[in-house]
Amino acid sequence: MTARFLTLEILILKCRIFDIEFKNPVFLASGTFEYGLIYRNVTNRAGAICTKGITARPRGGNPPPRIFETACGLINSVGLENPGVDVFCKETLPRMQRLKTRIFVNVAGFTIDEFVEIVGKIGPRVDGFELNVSCPNVDMGGVSFGRDPDVCAEVVARVRAVTKLPLIVKLTANFCDPLVVARRCVEAGADGISLINTLHGMAFDLKKREVLIQGGLSGPAIKPFALYCVHRLKDIDVPIIGVGGIMSGADAYEFLLAGASAVEIGSAILRDPFSPLRIIKELKRYTG
Amino acid sequence: MRSYRLKIARRTTYTENIFGLEFKYGGIKPWPGQFFHVRVDEGVELFLNRPISVASYKRGHLLLVVKIVGRGTKVLSMKKAGDYLTLFGPFGRRFRPVHKKSLIIAGGIGIAPLHFLAEYMAGCNIDFDVLYGVRNKDEFIFRSDLKRMASRVTFVAERGYKDKETVVARIRRMDLNDFSVGYACGPREMLMALQELNLPITTYAFCEDFMGCGCGLCLGCAIMHKGVYRRICVDGPVLNLGDIDFEVQNL
Repeated sequence: MTARFLTLEILILKCRIFDIEFKNPVFLASGTFEYGLIYRNVTNRAGAICTKGITARPRGGNPPPRIFETACGLINSVGLENPGVDVFCKETLPRMQRLKTRIFVNVAGFTIDEFVEIVGKIGPRVDGFELNVSCPNVDMGGVSFGRDPDVCAEVVARVRAVTKLPLIVKLTANFCDPLVVARRCVEAGADGISLINTLHGMAFDLKKREVLIQGGLSGPAIKPFALYCVHRLKDIDVPIIGVGGIMSGADAYEFLLAGASAVEIGSAILRDPFSPLRIIKELKRYTG
Repeated sequence: MRSYRLKIARRTTYTENIFGLEFKYGGIKPWPGQFFHVRVDEGVELFLNRPISVASYKRGHLLLVVKIVGRGTKVLSMKKAGDYLTLFGPFGRRFRPVHKKSLIIAGGIGIAPLHFLAEYMAGCNIDFDVLYGVRNKDEFIFRSDLKRMASRVTFVAERGYKDKETVVARIRRMDLNDFSVGYACGPREMLMALQELNLPITTYAFCEDFMGCGCGLCLGCAIMHKGVYRRICVDGPVLNLGDIDFEVQNL
């Protein structure tokens, strides 16, 4: 693509959320683009990248199988594999800071203290944090926090006390009303809400007659539901970031119409790592 | 990595459920061990791409050999010459074989990446033998090709031959002193049995798994290697068999 196209794209899609300027409202969802260092040309053209979930201690992740295709989507059970906040700060973050995009660190604590610890250790070196209270693939923290409005509010309030950077809370819609949780999070000081994280899902091995995989369902299969959830939060007065099965500019625009200020691309990246570029280009047609 | 929109130049049927797709391909040169991520459905129902090893690459002709194992590969099998497919790749770490007498150990469709390795080794004048086993004797592919390239080929089958034998049983009574290195690809059970035999030669396994992205982004194709999870797609697919732990646990 030519430089001319790039300038046009930036002019049309440039947006301001949380008082920061973004090249475009197409972000890379957590866990699908690792740390943005593999395909830098994609990362650098996206509005922002949300890192793989960072935990306080290193995590090896769940045993295979971790990925299983289902109709119009997939189930994943990676289990927050990451090097831990210390190694992330020392090795990965300096390399990420050279990226020409906004960096949001996805923070996955197993206790409230861990959220505070991780955010504190990373400090002001990034553009913001996405608090992951919705991972379905871990026993503690994750989705069990995200379902409980009181715990979510406490996480946000405690983290708010240690950082002035934008705080996005990534919510779940698994057996709970994201509207209730979102309201409490905003009261506690959240600057934005991203939703939805993956939905619970499972598949069986028919020959062995046992569970093959249990994890988070994502992809176009969950898009209508994600859209509904975003729309349900339309009266919340902080920016909403829509996530869930976005495959094209049309899908992204639908989320913007539903009330989102930006969108995150997740599963589409697994199918085609360059798809964010295509989605940005397509979105221009709608918003231009 | 790049994405390609390629026309199927030829479709070959090898057996009832194994077929080959040949493309005219002028992209990045694939190396042994590498694979392409093939999109099976331009819609989204079959959401993920399928990782398919390179079975042969010669003078701009790329051959992918596929066994029908599920819905995705079934859809692929219905593609005809002239149809277009979207491919991503080549993915996987480039593997450079050792310049020493080698033994190729193939089980079933595991011959596909090893055939490409054999082609490569023949091109580098590396001396190698082939041990190739299948369930049923009709399932052999590339027989004459392998006979031409290797110093010695041994075919074994669990059914159809007079002396029914598996690859693992055969290797147990083989004299491996002549060899320095082995390359194995096949069902996971075969790799596990080979590992248990503790072969006296360094053996590299060509691994496979369900994959998400194929390029290291999603951490979906994990395998336990020297005590940590590695990604088959970028840290492999060729890994030292001795370092792999197939009995996985939650870390």
